[in-house]
Amino acid sequence: MNSYDYDAIVVGSGITGGWAAKELTEKGLRTLVIERGRDVVHRKDYITEHKPTWEFPLRNARLSPGTKGTEDFPIQARTFQFQEACKQFFVNDRKHPYIEAQPFTWIQGDQVGGKSLIWGRQVYRWSDLDFEANLRDGHGVDWPIRYADIAPWYSYVERFIGVSGEKLGLPQLPDGEFQRPMELNAGEKFVKAGVERAFPGRHVTIGRVAILTENLNGRLACHYCGPCERGCSTGSYFSSQSSTLPAARATGRLTIQPNSLVHSVLYDANTNRVTGVRVVDTLTKVARDYTARVVFLCASTLATTRVLLNSKSARFPTGLANSSGVLGRYLMDHHFIVGAFGQIEGLLDHYYEGNRPNGIYIPRFRNLGDDASRRDYVRGFGYQGGAGRQGWGRGAGGRGFGAELKRSLRDPGTWSMGMTGFGECLPRVDNYAELADETDGFGIPLLRIHCTWGDNELAMRKDMAASAAEMLEAAGCKNVGTYDGYRPDGGLGAEPGLAIHEMGTARMGRDPKTSVLNGFNQAHDVPNLFVTDGACMASTSCVNPSITYMALTARACDHAVDRLKLGNI
Amino acid sequence: HNEITRREALTRVAIVLGGAISAPTLAGALDVVTRGSWTVPEGWAPRTLSPSQLEQVAVLAEHIIPATDTPGARAAQVQVFVDTLLTDHYPVPERDRFLAGLADVDARTRARYGKTFLECTPDQQRALLTVMDEEAYPAEPRGAPPPEGWFFHRLKEVTVVGYYTSQIGATQELHVSPFGAYRGDIPYSTVGRAWA
Repeated sequence: MNSYDYDAIVVGSGITGGWAAKELTEKGLRTLVIERGRDVVHRKDYITEHKPTWEFPLRNARLSPGTKGTEDFPIQARTFQFQEACKQFFVNDRKHPYIEAQPFTWIQGDQVGGKSLIWGRQVYRWSDLDFEANLRDGHGVDWPIRYADIAPWYSYVERFIGVSGEKLGLPQLPDGEFQRPMELNAGEKFVKAGVERAFPGRHVTIGRVAILTENLNGRLACHYCGPCERGCSTGSYFSSQSSTLPAARATGRLTIQPNSLVHSVLYDANTNRVTGVRVVDTLTKVARDYTARVVFLCASTLATTRVLLNSKSARFPTGLANSSGVLGRYLMDHHFIVGAFGQIEGLLDHYYEGNRPNGIYIPRFRNLGDDASRRDYVRGFGYQGGAGRQGWGRGAGGRGFGAELKRSLRDPGTWSMGMTGFGECLPRVDNYAELADETDGFGIPLLRIHCTWGDNELAMRKDMAASAAEMLEAAGCKNVGTYDGYRPDGGLGAEPGLAIHEMGTARMGRDPKTSVLNGFNQAHDVPNLFVTDGACMASTSCVNPSITYMALTARACDHAVDRLKLGNI
Repeated sequence: HNEITRREALTRVAIVLGGAISAPTLAGALDVVTRGSWTVPEGWAPRTLSPSQLEQVAVLAEHIIPATDTPGARAAQVQVFVDTLLTDHYPVPERDRFLAGLADVDARTRARYGKTFLECTPDQQRALLTVMDEEAYPAEPRGAPPPEGWFFHRLKEVTVVGYYTSQIGATQELHVSPFGAYRGDIPYSTVGRAWA
């Protein structure tokens, strides 16, 4: 009988790592969570929370590429979320670089909690329309699970994280365990009425978000300060810090080790089991091994795959658990930054109070298997967006200055409504990540990422812009305009990665010859190795993926502990 | 419908995504409890602007957002904000273009009145701003400002941002949305001011 340092090792402490830590410790396993980045302590380290704008030297400027202060963040600065008030929760690109064969924006956290501190918090269940998509149209491999397999785990997750939203009864977007929904504003109500009148079967609803509208397990309902991404002391949105890590800690079986970059997973060919991980201390650069009976990789899609690719042995010369050869392949992301805007006339006696950290959602209405099916592309998209009254920013948009300008900006301006599509991306073999010859400062080979949008995504985008405009016009909006950030010349604007929904590269599937993981996120090749972050995904759906990762993680932990008890992994 | 410009789109997307993936980008949330007062520290000196350029920015900004029944741009220290932007945020070419714009303001008043902008009377200064405003915001076509209007467009932008994100602009001229609740649809008359 071997003696192990821990029962379980979880690599990463973000959305999935936190869930694995909670589930495994609650089921009795002594668990080590290894985190590449620094520690971030709930409340204490939310250094910009509730800070007035005027206390920021740049007034919470959006730090775009090329501006001073972004020298260490040339990639992170590409996202709109990279701002003065939350830049501390994004990785230093010089410390953790990668190579882009084509533009691929890899947004990364580098701290305990990972991107759970700065995520978008939108949570939507998948349906069988999604789980059956690969089988139906032949792109990618069939998912080894269906909605019925994961539905109870969605409920389990929703009850713990707290989700507010509206039930719609739609087969393509199943309802969940919801707290009461946030309110729409007057502009959104106007557009909702118009869209639903003109397009029976389409719906405009408030976003389903992992933000509390009712207190839950010691976490408080949202107080609507607005910028969640600075951290939330009342734990009103789900993060590892507010939710899963405290639960794991309460068991007394959790150890978190920050500043520790996983170099590779240790593998014993005699037993065909992983035995632990090799870690480099990012402060001292000293390497150390930790052993455990089971390993969960939850480091984020590409970081997880990088670890697997770098875990080479005689049995697995191209990367651990890669007998299929598909490890690194079928990289995906949602494509977005395409949609439309319009003005709403009137409603000038309507306003709102409080900063609602949420917008509207229009569920998928294309290719549902009905008469509306398109011939020019497969799969579908949903929209996120919102309405609001113009603020003082309009003051720089037109002619005029002086007391008259100042007086006019004292009142809010006209209403406008915008929406951006989030489109499904097909799994394609030529979108992939591989190890380069170059290494980082810790001696680990860099990833080289190859990823472009294909014809299906580009055809879908045309419809995403046109349909958005069509709905706004039908709803009665004026001055409707479309936009598409995609640059056909390969420039930045709507490049892969930017949605921060990167998925695939260690996909689940039924056949060990064409997939890395089985239906329980367990490596086909090595039974005590699990991957439960976005790397496991065999397709992308069009909805935000995080809650599906959470549900898959909880389900995989349940399976792993069952198998450990039976002694067969 | 029309294809809007990329610049417009990016600006608007940032706002729309405020709902979807992040929070309001223009003005951060302000806590009435922890709200502190910020003033220019004693001994503060500009790091990019010369003292006379600093004064020039203050005068230009005050013409754009003057003191009325509430304080204006100078009292809100817009000139300090501009020096900070130029020093800590702008790429060097952009900084230099802005400084060249300030020099050009002086060149234009010299040509017209034979003195620097600061030496001009307020009426003369306003006359120049009116001309620059027309150049920066031509009636047609809409879209990106013409090159000769770049400086004034940018000056107005930084003045508006600097003023309405200052404590004076956000709390005296406008109101800060309180914490605690979200009310999605209320009569504007019960608020009576735009939120900062």
